[in-house]
Order: sequence, then structure tokens, then C-alpha cells
Amino acid sequence: MPEFVLRYIRVVEAINRRVGRFAMYLIFVLVGILLWSSISKTFLLPSLWTLEMAQFAMVAYYILGGPYSIQLDANVRMDLVYGSWSPRTKAWVDAFSVLFLIYFLGVLLYGGIASTTYSLEYGERSPTAWRPYLWPIKIVMCFGIVLMILQATAEFFKDICRIRGVSF
Amino acid sequence: MSYEMIALLMFSTMMLMLMTGQRVFGAIGFVGVAAAMLLWGTGGSDIGFSAAMKLMKWYPLLTLPMFIFMGYVLSESKIADDLYRMFHVWMGPVRGGLAIGTIGLMVLISAMNGLSVAGMAIGATIALPELLRRGYDKIMVTGVIQAGSSLGILVPPSVVLVLYAMIARQPVGQLWLAGVMPGLMMAGLFIVYIVVRCWLQPHLGPALPVEERQVPLAEKLRLLRAGILPLAIFAAMMVPFVNGWTSLVESSAIGAMTAFLAAVFKRRMTREVFETSVRQTLAISCMFMWIILAALGFGAVFDGLGAVRAIDSLFTQQLGLDPWVILILMQLSFILMGTFLDDTAMLVIVAPLYVPLVQALGFDLIWYGVLYTITTQIAYMTPPFGYNLFLMRAMAPPEITLRDIYRSIIPFAFVMVLALALVMAFPQIALWLPNLVYSK
Repeated sequence: MPEFVLRYIRVVEAINRRVGRFAMYLIFVLVGILLWSSISKTFLLPSLWTLEMAQFAMVAYYILGGPYSIQLDANVRMDLVYGSWSPRTKAWVDAFSVLFLIYFLGVLLYGGIASTTYSLEYGERSPTAWRPYLWPIKIVMCFGIVLMILQATAEFFKDICRIRGVSF
Repeated sequence: MSYEMIALLMFSTMMLMLMTGQRVFGAIGFVGVAAAMLLWGTGGSDIGFSAAMKLMKWYPLLTLPMFIFMGYVLSESKIADDLYRMFHVWMGPVRGGLAIGTIGLMVLISAMNGLSVAGMAIGATIALPELLRRGYDKIMVTGVIQAGSSLGILVPPSVVLVLYAMIARQPVGQLWLAGVMPGLMMAGLFIVYIVVRCWLQPHLGPALPVEERQVPLAEKLRLLRAGILPLAIFAAMMVPFVNGWTSLVESSAIGAMTAFLAAVFKRRMTREVFETSVRQTLAISCMFMWIILAALGFGAVFDGLGAVRAIDSLFTQQLGLDPWVILILMQLSFILMGTFLDDTAMLVIVAPLYVPLVQALGFDLIWYGVLYTITTQIAYMTPPFGYNLFLMRAMAPPEITLRDIYRSIIPFAFVMVLALALVMAFPQIALWLPNLVYSK
């Protein structure tokens, strides 16, 4: 295997691991926002921003955490047939099937970029009382999808390594 | 190509991809966006991303990471251990009493989290070894834990009902209240089954020996305090919600915080527990969210095809079936699919197909939500695919084989079908409580 492929796998995995470990703690941000929301609603004036801020945090949580969840192998597969194959057969099939995943993520990114440019050009705001701009969260989403594509390509190279018996 | 053909092609492609081990979200997502591109060209290219935006704007979905976090805090920190001891001492002297106590334990754990994982973990790691040591039949015990932990998705808070609410566009609060009575009824049926079975075959669940029964009354009463924790967590969530002080989502955050603080005060929140629960919450939340994201895109294409209307007219007009017959057929096909399809995938694929049909037939969608959840529970346990089966295999001690696990669920699956039939025949079991609370 060429050295740059192995380095690519290592670099992508390291970046996604860091980003994922960061996203992991957003759960506490989420809890904090929602607790503040209940406190302010019960004792003070209800905050306008909590609902949407919580939604933005949740989206960042799962989109940025996505590649790390692939590393943790948390995404379920049906293993009725797949489970009984040898590791080599699995690697062969995965090397093909991951291309479909990359296609899905690519279309997702294509739509995401179109939507983000629209938001930036027209200064799109959410139609609520707080009226936040939508472009920051859309950029975060696109960034997360790019990381997801990087992780998927790394998975592809890892499968090739497995087929050729190279350790990575 | 006719629309029916496209729909069929979409399903068969998805099945093929699932069978060859594609990640579930990848399979659903790919078929969704590929069909959109084929049908509508580049105009269909934003269907994936707009599904992501739709997901963001769906407020109750925020409860999902909260309840997953709560479940992991409860199971990892083992703060529910005392609960098991409470049931052990109080129920032990009865024949089959420890099994009955385990069902009680599962009901309490179900009231604190929305998935079956926590109940499963606590049941398999604490109750299972204790019951085996006391000479309980291993098949009986395995069945009790699997059936009991599946109550987690029916008794509020329930993650499955949150997902259903999203697809059916129904209020989550009413759905949760609708799950209370059927959940308790099902627990009751399990207990009746255990009592009858152990009365007929005493060797399945022997009563505790005399020397173990002699627990002083003061100690017995002290153990009852363990029951305060689940009640406190449940009350901290549900009281502000039912009184209208907080929304559902805010209540779920209060619940997550309460569980976390309880673990900290009981000195169980070690570094390791913290790491595992936070990391697993991310992993499981991401799994669910990406599947929902993909399924929303898939569903949007499916809606665009008008496939639901085609199926509806096929059943009601061309075949001239009675709505009830259709409903029963739907539940039967759901159970059948549940035996060989992945549960999470099924949840998000079946609901968009069935819910509009149920509505077109004129049935109550809150009531159907309960039927849907009970059917999912059955699907969770039926081999060869079952979320609970896999968890059980991963957590149970080695002397319990996969064969034992498969055999153990059969009687409980029948009890659940009975519960399903009862809720179908008497909708009031589900609808009484939400009507009472919301008609004030």
C-alpha cells in the first residue's frame, strides 16, 4: 500500500476522533440550554432563544459526531447473511457498498452547499420570534458531512488494506 | 415505468443492500436520494439535505439523546442495584417470586428511561445471576428479563413513541399517557403467567429457602427506600410536564440531570462510568439520528410517488376488505417483518407506510401508536432479528446459549400478542388516561 494512503487513514481518523470527542460533550450544552429554558419559563420571563439554540446544538451533536460513531462501529447492520461471511469476504463487499454510502453523502453535501449559499446570499433567517440567521448552522452541517465523506473514504481504504492483508 | 414498479424497485434495492451488510442509514439514504435523482433529476438533489433541516425543526426529537443518556447513566452507574435487593427480599418467599420481582423492577426502570437497553443491562447483570443461583429455570429467567425490559418502550418516557409521534404528527404527551395502562396491563399479564406456570411446575421458580427469608423487618423497611429513587426521577420529569410548567423536551433534560446528579451523590459517577455513558450516548444517538435523517428523505420520495394512496385503494376498493380485517392484517405483517428485518429500520420504514393508511381507514392515531409500540416490542424479541436478543446474547453468562434465548421468548411473545389483542378489542385501555388528563 502506498505510504500516503496509510497516512490519509491515520490523519482522517485522528481528526474525526477529536471532532467526535468534542461533539460528545455537547450533550451537556444541550441539557444546560433546556434547563435554563425551564427555569426561565417558570420563574422569569421565558427566553426566546432556547428552543432554536437547543435544536442547533442537537444538529451539531449528531452531524459532527457521525464520523466518530462510524469509528466506534455503532451503526447497525443486518447480520443475517453478512455476519456469517469471512473477514475477507466482508472487506470485499464493504469496499463496494461503501461507495453507495459516499454517493448518498455526496448528494447530501450537494444539497447542503446549495442551501447554504442561498442562506448566505439572502441572509435567510428562521421565521420565529428570535429570528436567528440560518447560515452558521448550515455551514456546521456541511462541514460535518464533509468529515463524514472523509471517514467513508478512509473506510474504503481500510477495506482495501484488509483485502491486501496490509495492517493500518 | 409505473409508480408501483418504482416503489417495488426501491424496496428490493434496499433489501439487497441491507442483506449485504450496508449500514442501515446508508442503505435507506442511498435508495432515497438515488430514486429522487432518477425521478426528478437535479431538482431532486436537495431532498437529502431538506430532510436534515426537517429533522432539526422537529422539536420533540431532542428528547432522544436525553433519554439515551439517562438510560446509560442508570445502567452504567448501577444506581438501580438497590432496587433489585428490595424486590429480592420482599418477593423472595413466594413461588416464582424473584421472577415476579424482576418484572416489578423492569416496570420501575422503564419509568426512568425510554429504551429497553437499561432494563436489559440491569436485568442481565444483576437479576440473572442471582435468579440462576437460587435454582430458577434458566429459560424462564431469560424470558422474564427480555419481556420485562421491552416494557421500556411502552411505559413513558418512550423513545419509540417519540419516533411514532414524529411520523404520525400526533402529540407525544398524549401518546405517552396512552402507553401507561397497556404497559401496566402487560406487566400484570406477565406476572399472571409466571404465577400460573410456577404453581403448575414449582421447580421452575422455587421460593427462597427459610434461612434466606429471615430478614428483620427494620431491614426490610430500610430496603423500601430504594424505591424512592425511581419515583423521584419519574416525578421530577412528569410533575412539571403534566402541570404544564415545562414542555416535554425540558422535562427530559430535567430527568437526565436528575439521574446524573443521583449517580454523583451516590458516588457512582466514576471516570470510567462517565466516559462510557457519554460516549455510548453519542454513538447510539448518532445511529438513530442518521437513520431518521435517511428515512425522512426516503419517505419524502415515497410520498411523492403516491404509493400510500395506491395501497389504500387496493385494499379498500379493489379487495373490498373491512377496516378491521385490514388492521389485523397490518399487525400480522408487521410482526412477520419484525422477525427478519432490523428493528430500528423497520420502525422508520413501516410507520410512514401504515400510519396514513390507518388514518384513511378512520382509526384513532393515538390508539394505533400503542398497537404499533406493542408490535415493535414483539419484533424486538422475535428471532432471528431482535434488538433484545442481541443484547441478551452479549450480556448473558456463557451457560445460556442462543437456543435457550430463542426458546425463552416463545411464551412471553404469546402473552404480548394477547395484550395486543386486548388493546385492539378495548381501545379504552389505552385512551382512558389521555382523555382523562387532556379533557380537564
